[in-house]
Amino acid sequence: MAVLRDSRLLPAAPRVLFSAYGYLLFFVGTVATAILAREAEVVFVLLATIVFAGLFSGKALTLLFRWQIWLFVLPTLALSPLLIGDRAFSLWGLMLSQEGFWAGLWMVTRALSIALAAAVFALTVSVAQMAQLFEGMRLKGLGFALGVATNVLPTIQETMETSYHAMRLRGGFRSRRLHTLKLLLVTVIAGSLRRGDDIVWAAEARAFDPDRPLGQPVAVTRADAALAAYMGALALVLLIV
Amino acid sequence: MRFSVRELVYIAIFGAIWGALELTLGSYLHVIFPPLADTFLVGLIMAFLGVIVALVGRHFVPRTGSVFLIGIITAILKMISIGGVQVGPLVAILAESLLMELGLWVARKPRRWGFVLAGALAIAWNFFHKFIMMYILYGKGIYDVYVGMVKQGVSLLRIDASYALAIIVILFLIRILAGALAGWIGWDLGRVVRGRLAR
Repeated sequence: MAVLRDSRLLPAAPRVLFSAYGYLLFFVGTVATAILAREAEVVFVLLATIVFAGLFSGKALTLLFRWQIWLFVLPTLALSPLLIGDRAFSLWGLMLSQEGFWAGLWMVTRALSIALAAAVFALTVSVAQMAQLFEGMRLKGLGFALGVATNVLPTIQETMETSYHAMRLRGGFRSRRLHTLKLLLVTVIAGSLRRGDDIVWAAEARAFDPDRPLGQPVAVTRADAALAAYMGALALVLLIV
Repeated sequence: MRFSVRELVYIAIFGAIWGALELTLGSYLHVIFPPLADTFLVGLIMAFLGVIVALVGRHFVPRTGSVFLIGIITAILKMISIGGVQVGPLVAILAESLLMELGLWVARKPRRWGFVLAGALAIAWNFFHKFIMMYILYGKGIYDVYVGMVKQGVSLLRIDASYALAIIVILFLIRILAGALAGWIGWDLGRVVRGRLAR
């Protein structure tokens, strides 16, 4: 046992630069700075977000290749020169506003910064870490509830689809749609709660205690503190300038 | 907030049901009505169903905070879904569950009017949500876009600008009524489910 207690002989735990708190802070900080930044300043916020995502969550950058994002971006860019400011110059027969073009560009840059920061948080922090984060905020048992929810989710989705098709094939949605929808919800909820009883019995049989902490609590790292100082300073500068 | 194992499992189940609705019906509706094309219907339908599920959940876990926990679980499930992260629905789910909790707290004990108030408050958020999210995401310039669109629409249709204001008020009232109806249905449905389980 003495040998096993020697930390040098134990497999090294992966080095964590930022904790879940750090990523949460990054998200909140990006939202704050994106709101505070005026006009072209928001470009620096986007650049900083891209650099952070590139360094610590490369997967988040794939967000920029999603069509849903461009469904927001392109219409905003196209409409703002038509709707904001005085239309002073003409392009392909359309009277456009220069002021509107820039306003649209800053709006889109701000939206991209926030969406990217949200993607960094969601793709880097695991479900277990999110649960620990909430448990740290005195929401005891949330980790357990979240685990149960992720486990029952596929079954509930399947029950929902099966019940919906069964009702539809019996002509349920042809008339009295609201009543049929109610029946569908009752079927799904009652079925899920019956399944839930099995989970309760299994948890109680294993003497599960929701007050027991879920693993090690999330510890704030030095990098989190440095990030907090940087974000705070940046927000202060934006507020003053 | 301390919950028993049974209460936590029920919270998880209601969160998963709301989450399943968001992931299946919500994604489907967002594809049919892209967010820019529709600012009314999808949010209203999803909030209506979400409120019913969360309030039925309150029947089974009649304690302060249970609806908010259901909302947190739904938001996290939505966040980790294949569809990717969308800040808008996450904020909406959390805000709706908090407002439901507020309505239920005002009523103190489980009562039908408390459920109706909670539903109305939750879906009323739906009206302000678009404006708040647009302000956060795009800045105040987005209001100029909206005002410009309304002005152009008014001049195109050759109607009085006051009609635009009337339409906005009507849209808000529709949401309040839909929320109250969701609360009413949630109260009834909770009793029906309890009766079904007692059989």
